[in-house]
Amino acid sequence: MTVKVGDELPTFTRETGFANWNRYAAVNDEFVPIHMDDAAGEAAGNGGAFGMGNLQWAYLHNMLRSWVGENGEILSIEVQFRSPNVKGQTVTAKGVVTAVDGDVISLDVWTEQQEGTKLAPGSAKVKMGK
Amino acid sequence: MTETYLNDTVINANGTLCSRSVSYPIEASAIRKWAMAVYWPEPAPETFMNAEYAPEDFDAFAWGPASYESLLEGDDGRVMVRHGINERALGFPDWKFRAGLNGGMNCTYGVRMHVGDVITDVKSVGEYTERQGRMGLMLITQSISTWTNQNGELVKRTINSGIRY
Repeated sequence: MTVKVGDELPTFTRETGFANWNRYAAVNDEFVPIHMDDAAGEAAGNGGAFGMGNLQWAYLHNMLRSWVGENGEILSIEVQFRSPNVKGQTVTAKGVVTAVDGDVISLDVWTEQQEGTKLAPGSAKVKMGK
Repeated sequence: MTETYLNDTVINANGTLCSRSVSYPIEASAIRKWAMAVYWPEPAPETFMNAEYAPEDFDAFAWGPASYESLLEGDDGRVMVRHGINERALGFPDWKFRAGLNGGMNCTYGVRMHVGDVITDVKSVGEYTERQGRMGLMLITQSISTWTNQNGELVKRTINSGIRY
């Protein structure tokens, strides 16, 4: 596959809420009130409970991994958690190629909710599998 | 109103090694469960269900380490700080915050994690800064986590940013 600047990656999308967050808490021991209790989430400045940044992080990895293939490599990734993932949102992980340097591909990556607001913008470098 | 969170102790701590944790050997069932959670409700890829290797974002320390030691002078390590760094042992101010948030992550990967791998995590202090936000003065912290496997190979180096106010 020839990769060029501007290419968009196949997306990774999930409906989000307690069903996702509780499963993630169960494997990551992340039973934090702001992720499980609306009152705690509201006290933290949001409308209610909200999802883990680490799960947004995982969704971005899922998208990248699917694209590079089993023999590909995720070399690096950085994101900022800018906006909370609240209950009922449809979260989509997206990516676009920003540079190709030999076999190293640079990308802008982010998660966004159903109206297009970015939740976790960032960047990544990957190598495609052979 | 808090005018600043930063003092010389906080600023000069940048780069200080804080703790070393060693994981239990990674189990196949832990890889499967992790993958099922992060791909739910769709099935996880066969690669992870067969536990050929772990997802890059897998946390080998999610349910605690097999061993933990503090690397800070004068700290006996009896208070284990699993996430972030031991600010009390570093002599940081006894800040009071209303809330804390995950600000972001920056990770560079090395070799993959496999079943049976034993991971060592060395945590160190990153940069501490502050800025005004809609919730008041915010403290922005960095903790750096460097993972190596039983062969001494780099697994990943992660800079975790926290926001407190």
